[in-house]
Amino acid sequence: MAGPGRLLFPAFVTLMFAFLLAPIVIVVLAAFNSGEYLTFPPEGFSLRWFENFFQNRPFMRALGFSLRLALWVTFVATVLGTLASLFVVRHARRLRDFLRVLFVAPLAFPSILTGIALLIYFYAIGVGTSGGFALGVGHVLVCTPFVFISVTSVLVRFDSSIEEASRSLGAGPFTTFRRITLPMIKGGVVSGAVLAFITSFDQFPISLLLSGIGTTTLPVQLFDYLRFSFDPTAAAASTVSVAITVLAVILTERFVGLGSVYGEKR
Amino acid sequence: MVMLFFFFVLPYANMLYISFLTRAYDEPYYHVATLANYANVLSDGFNWEIIGLTFWFAIVTAAATLALSYPVAYFMARSSSKRKGILLALVLAPLLVGVVVRSYGWMILLSDTGLVNQFLNWMGIGARKLMYNQTGVWIGLIHVYMPFMVISLMNALSDVDPELEKASRSLGASAWTTFWRVVWPLSLPGVAAGTVLVFVLSVSAYVIPSLLGGYNVLTAPLLIVQAVMDLFNWPLGSALAMVLFAVTVGTITLFNRIMSRAMKGIA
Repeated sequence: MAGPGRLLFPAFVTLMFAFLLAPIVIVVLAAFNSGEYLTFPPEGFSLRWFENFFQNRPFMRALGFSLRLALWVTFVATVLGTLASLFVVRHARRLRDFLRVLFVAPLAFPSILTGIALLIYFYAIGVGTSGGFALGVGHVLVCTPFVFISVTSVLVRFDSSIEEASRSLGAGPFTTFRRITLPMIKGGVVSGAVLAFITSFDQFPISLLLSGIGTTTLPVQLFDYLRFSFDPTAAAASTVSVAITVLAVILTERFVGLGSVYGEKR
Repeated sequence: MVMLFFFFVLPYANMLYISFLTRAYDEPYYHVATLANYANVLSDGFNWEIIGLTFWFAIVTAAATLALSYPVAYFMARSSSKRKGILLALVLAPLLVGVVVRSYGWMILLSDTGLVNQFLNWMGIGARKLMYNQTGVWIGLIHVYMPFMVISLMNALSDVDPELEKASRSLGASAWTTFWRVVWPLSLPGVAAGTVLVFVLSVSAYVIPSLLGGYNVLTAPLLIVQAVMDLFNWPLGSALAMVLFAVTVGTITLFNRIMSRAMKGIA
């Protein structure tokens, strides 16, 4: 690229990055701003919106529930996704490609439709949406594919002959898994688990449809709040939720390095 | 696999089944087969208008994200691997933040007293209505789905050898010709993948149209949720969902066919 293009091009790219990051930065700024709404220049630093947030019962209950739900979902999705991946890569023969598509399919279907299908289904089999079981199932459904993809991409790089060697040297299948396979795929499992946690914590459409009484997640509570007002208490809530996500990513970075998380995402 | 069958395949099959049942008022539905729901959905011009609007949103979002993301993706693909990593993290960062939070960010920016309108006032242009109408939905959709497009394009563009461009230029082609005859055709698979992805995601977007559109913009997902949650008309909602699904799959198939023909024409 020659002439003015040399300058215009990076400027445009910078502008696009600003566009992508603007709303997130704005939310955080609004949460720490003392005024009712953001002005330029800002009116001053204040923590009063955080105070509001922490004193707001529905928000607090939703935050606690979201965290508990995300932890449970992460646990179940990680176990299921890892098992599914091990089975598909190591044992499935003829059906391998079909299974691979099947395990990722919940990501390809619009989650709002999946939510409706699950809602109707759980009422049809008489479980309903109270107690959060339906919600948990819905979350596990959309979170497991992330673990599956992440573990699979690590697993296919390793030679199964190492496992066979372990078995032939007299180790049982469980010992082999614990001592050989698990350490090899640890990075994939952990990054899959983090993606599952973040996905569950931020999940909206399925949560909206499957929330019962007392099982409202933070994004749904935030959504309900925003439909009627958007005072900065919502910004404080958003900032807390962003902080939790960032914390999850940082903790992963400490344990396995960020490269594997981003590398495996798509 | 068992779990997938019980909680994924069966619910969708169940939804398909219910879409053929009769609406009832004292219970969710009667077990009497009927085509009335589909007749209802297909004959009502209002539904088609909404599906049309939803598709219009999705098509424009896909086109706009493509136009905006292409330079970004190109820039990233030609960056050193270290800078590329940082830029990639910046592109992916919005994906780690919930869509409700991001919509809220836009609500702060676009509201009548928001920062953008304050800026417009200061410039002397005067405030505009940027939210609770289609403008807000456009901005939100483009923002939320742009990272997907950037990543698809970047993967495709990273595979295009920079040497090819140099060769084309040294043989006397202008920068413009090089782009249209060399880079663009080679990036078509990424363009196709990104477009389909953004299209599908936009068609089923729920949060953006409801928050940034207020109640002034009605898209198909909003209509379906309304039928199921507010009207408790599950058969009708299911039928609507199935129609939306079928039309979406049809559109993608058509698009893929056109794209593969276009790619064949080049190769």
